[in-house]
Order: sequence, then C-alpha cells, then structure tokens
Amino acid sequence: MNMFIPLNMHTETTFTNEVINPDLLPKYENVQLSRLHPDYWKIICINLLIFFALLGITIAALLWFVDEVKPNAKWIIPVYITLLVSAFLLFRVSFKKRGYAIRTHDVIYKSGIIAESTTIVPLNRIQHIELNEGLFSRIYKLGSLQLFTAGGQTGHIHISGIAIDEAKRIRDLLLNKLEQLENPSTELNPNE
Amino acid sequence: MNNDFSKPQRESAFGIIIMGAHTMLKIGKATFFLFVIAFVKMSGSSFTFLMLGIAAIIVFSLIFAYLWYLKFTFFLDKEKQEFVVNKGILNRDQVIIQLDKIQQVNINQNILQKMIGVYGLKIDTAGAHGEEVSIKAIDEISAYILKEHLLNGENTTITQREVEQDNDKAAAAPFLKLSSWTLLKVGLTSNYGQSLALLVAFFYTVIYEGRQLLDAFKIDKDEIQSTVTGMLTIVTVFILIACLLILLLIINLIRTSYKYFELEISEHSNTLLLSSGLIAKKNTLVSPDKVQITTYSQNYFQKKLNMLNMSLKQAHFGQSKKGHEMQGNTLEIPGCNAGERDELLKMILAKVPLKEKTFIPDWRFLNLPIFFKMVLPVSIFLIMAFNIPELKPYMSAAILYVMIGVFMIYISYRRHRISVSQDFIIKTSGIWDIANEIVVPNKIQAITTFQYPWHKGVDVGHLTLHTAAGQIHFKHGNYTEIKQLVNYWLYQVESRNENWM
Repeated sequence: MNMFIPLNMHTETTFTNEVINPDLLPKYENVQLSRLHPDYWKIICINLLIFFALLGITIAALLWFVDEVKPNAKWIIPVYITLLVSAFLLFRVSFKKRGYAIRTHDVIYKSGIIAESTTIVPLNRIQHIELNEGLFSRIYKLGSLQLFTAGGQTGHIHISGIAIDEAKRIRDLLLNKLEQLENPSTELNPNE
Repeated sequence: MNNDFSKPQRESAFGIIIMGAHTMLKIGKATFFLFVIAFVKMSGSSFTFLMLGIAAIIVFSLIFAYLWYLKFTFFLDKEKQEFVVNKGILNRDQVIIQLDKIQQVNINQNILQKMIGVYGLKIDTAGAHGEEVSIKAIDEISAYILKEHLLNGENTTITQREVEQDNDKAAAAPFLKLSSWTLLKVGLTSNYGQSLALLVAFFYTVIYEGRQLLDAFKIDKDEIQSTVTGMLTIVTVFILIACLLILLLIINLIRTSYKYFELEISEHSNTLLLSSGLIAKKNTLVSPDKVQITTYSQNYFQKKLNMLNMSLKQAHFGQSKKGHEMQGNTLEIPGCNAGERDELLKMILAKVPLKEKTFIPDWRFLNLPIFFKMVLPVSIFLIMAFNIPELKPYMSAAILYVMIGVFMIYISYRRHRISVSQDFIIKTSGIWDIANEIVVPNKIQAITTFQYPWHKGVDVGHLTLHTAAGQIHFKHGNYTEIKQLVNYWLYQVESRNENWM
C-alpha cells in the first residue's frame, strides 16, 4: 500500500509550505489492485442464464404460437445465440478487468470492457457507505460495497463480488476512518 | 411575531391571501383553455354555471389556503442547530433542515406580496432530495433576521437595529451594479438558446391550443391551410425568418431585463447578496465557500463590448428534475466587465486565479466527433441520396454541412484546454461562448481517468473530475501528465481534510 509523505495536519503552529515534487507523490496507477472473488463469476453466469432463459422462453413461445413470426426463425435463433455468446464473453472480460484497492486516504476502483476507467474516491469525501447482499450473493457469501460521494450518480463507486467478510472488514475500516476524519480530536494515526 | 424563532410560529396571516391566490393561479392555469372553450361554446343559460364554477374555485382556494396557514408552523431549534417546519393539511409532514446544510436563502417579493407588503422566503438545502422550504408571507425584518439565523448558525444575537444597519450598509456599497445600458447589451448578446426554446414552446402551445379552438369554433381548417401555403413564397419565407429573428432578439431583451433589472451584488456579512428583478424583486444570499464551480464565459460580441457572463454553481443532489433543480442552484450574473469579474472571483475564491500551466488535448480529439457527427451522418445521407432521386438536389447541402461542422469541431478542439495552478483548476471550452470553469481542488469529490485500448500506444487518455455541482471533463490529454495531475490533486484533497461545503 502507498503511504503519504508526512503532512502538517496536526502541527498547526509550525506551518511550513514546501515545494512538492510531483514525482515523489504516491502514484495511484501503480497500486496493486485486488481482484474480485472468483465465485462472483458464477453469480454473473447465473444472472445471465436467468436473463437468457427468460428471453429464450419468450422467443420460443412467439415462434410456436404466432404464425407471423415463424418465417423469421432462421435469423432470430442465430441472433439469439450470438447475443448469448457475446454477452458471456463481454462479462468475462469485464470481470477480469475489475479490481479495487483501499489506500490510507482513498479507494480505487478500476473497470471497463473497452475503455479502462479508474475512479478514485478520497475517504474524506465519502458521504455514506452501503453494503448490499443479493439473493445469489448470499449463497456464495459475497457482498457488494457502494461508496457514495456528493459527486452524484457518476462520482460513486460500486464494487460487487467481494467476499462478505472482506466487505464487512472494509466497511468497518472505512467507517472507522470516516469517524476519525469527522472528529479530528481523537488522535489520527495514518500508519495503522 | 417574536424575533428569535425559538417557538413554533405561523407565517404572517397575509399568507392566507398569498397562498389562496397561488392556488387559484395554479387551478386557473390548468383549466384556462377549458374555460375559453366553454365560454365560446356555451349558451346563455349556462353562464351562471360558469360563474358558479369560478366562485367554487375561489372558495376552495381560500379554504385550502386557510387550512394551509393553520397547519404551517416553523421554528429554530437552537440546541440541535435545526430549522423545523411542520406542514400538511391532511397528512402531517415535518421537514427538518440542519443549518449547516443550507445553501442559500432567497427573499423574494412578487406583485401580490409587494402590494400587501410581505416577503417570501425560500431555503435551498443540500439535502438528499434537494427538498426546499418556502415560507409564503413574512414581514421584511423577520425575513432578514431569520435569514441571518439560518446562514450564520450559532453566533446570532442580532437585534432589529443591527439588521437595519446591515441593510443600509448593503444598500450603500454594492460592488457590482448593472445599468440599463449594460442590460441592453446583455440582452442582445447572450442566452439565444434559452429564448429560442421559449419561442418554440410558445409556438407549439399556440398551434396546439389554436387547433382545439378552431375545432370549438367549427372553422374549416383546410381553408386556413390553403391560404397559409399560398402565402409561402421565397420572399415571404425570408421576411418570416427575419421577423422571427427580430422577435427572438426582442424576447431575449425582455427576458433579460425582466430577470436582471437593477441587478446588484454586495457583500453582506461574509455572504453574497444578489438582488434583481423588474416586477418581482428577488434577493438571493449565498455564502461564497459553498460555491462549487465558478464559471465565466464570453462570446465574440461580448469580447468586443468588454463584458462577460458569470455563473456560480452550487451543490445539487438527488435526481435533478430535468434541469429544474440545477438551474435553481446556479446563479447567473450577466454583464460584468473584466474588473468586476476579478472582484467577484476574489470574493469567492480569495484571489484571482491565473492560468499557470496549460494542458492541451492531442489532435486525436478531432477523430470521434468528426466520425460520429460528420462522416457517419453524411455517408448515410449520401447513400440515401443516391437511391432516392428526390434527395439529389440537396447533395450540395452535405458539403456545406461538412465544411461548417469540421470548422466548428476544429474550433472546439482549439479551445478545449485545462490550466492547473496550485490553488485552481481552470477548464476552458466552447465554440461560440467560450467558458472558463474554475474549480478549487478542494471541491473535488472523486476523480475518474480512462483510456481506450487503441490510445495506449500514443499515451492519450481522458479525465473526469466529479464535483458536487457537476463534472469537468478533459478529453484526449497526455495520459502521463493526467496521471501526474490526478496524484497531485489527490494529495491536495487528502492531505488537507478541508470542508468542501
């Protein structure tokens, strides 16, 4: 994990303002990201299968009962199969690309199928934290963590597929830090 | 009315009239065309029914307003630092606002309120749903004292006299005042888009409602249509367009002067006081450190006239109702000159930001817009034109479209840049109106960087800064530089732990 160079946070009386060398700052792009739990791929598969099963049943029913649709079967079925295969491939790629890291002062989340996007939320900007467990997630003991900022819909991080114990640990850690940030009187130790 | 607001109290009794009129206006607006149609179609005997209907609406509005007045109470909870409003006729609603979450307090006066001599007070919050409280009738002194309490929280032991003195001071030294001449210039040079939208909306309603009226009058529509098409020659079309343009300018002028008449900005015990308005006077109070994005913009005409438009964006939360809420949280200050702009910037940002280190986008910035806005639509058009003979004469229009389009995209590329100094981030963009958005690194909520795989080799990437008042994008920059900037901003945000609101 990256550490920040010592700052003048608590020594208000001896305020100094040195020139910062940007090369010495911790680099977010070099942080080793944790991958999502492998079981999360199973959940993605279950969700996709349910979706495509429902879609398939609808299409089958249409093909079976509506005479006007029947002649179109020769292109509907190949399209359905291509969609199915490409959806699985895309989600596989997206699953592989997602990763997160918790630093002393911020949370990093990387995702994206084509474009790789990295979002960083500083801890002192987090408004609230949400821990969600879905039906299938509970079976595999996974959870998803959401960090909200005042930046609205776009400025929030949603990390799905973390082992629930890990997610709870992260949540408690973050809540702890938020509390410390809000009450600076309790001594803050950044190297915990 | 006692002046420390510690006990629950009702608004001024005149509020019944204001609320009643408000309800009547609402019902009236909704049923206006219904009444017109009824008026046209009805026979003599039903006139009494119509009058009865109107009377019923009036009585209903007044009863509603009276009940509203009875149930609407508000008070300040000094211990918890909260402002509490109880309201609701049938259901009981309680709105609790934490004082430090209040963004701005508006003290307004519409015509009716002016006649009666009361003020309306509105509170904009940064609450999760952007809910706001509006007190419809309150006398002037109470309004200003309440405002003082709301915006300054703890340290308020202001007596009546002090407030009056404050008002005098504010009236004495506005540091920006918009003259009618400047207002004229503003009206001629800005906000064409909004006026155009207004005009279109107006014509749409006129045509839509006009049709219903025609149906009601049983007038032959075909006859009108044939006369209209008969009038349409090339000359008349040009005259019509010219008339529309002049109309647009006039609407723009009226709108601007209605909104910004006698605009004054003054500093008022560490808050900005903006007051303007022709018929309805609007006073807005903002504390400068709650402004998230400060923008100043200028187009070619305005540059020649040495004036700028400024806007101060504050935090908006929750679902914005199609731009409504966002507009409510953006304060527009048109017609400043460079000196006044610097004065305002100094007030809000403590000093005038300088563009120190400027980053420009890569030429690949041009690729996507040229492909999606030029190549794709033009090729679709050309394919259609070659197959449909009716479209062929218009093919030269495609060339014109491409020429103008490419030129505009090139200008937007030349203007798109971001300047960074230790204390400020300035994003410049625009084609006609060149806008400079200024953000203090401290107001950043989150940062996103992203890169397309085919840009990896050439080291080009994108940057988005999320603030509580919207995003700032910088596209197709040098990715190594962007990453360095992000690390620097993160350091700034995380090391200081300053309040962003």
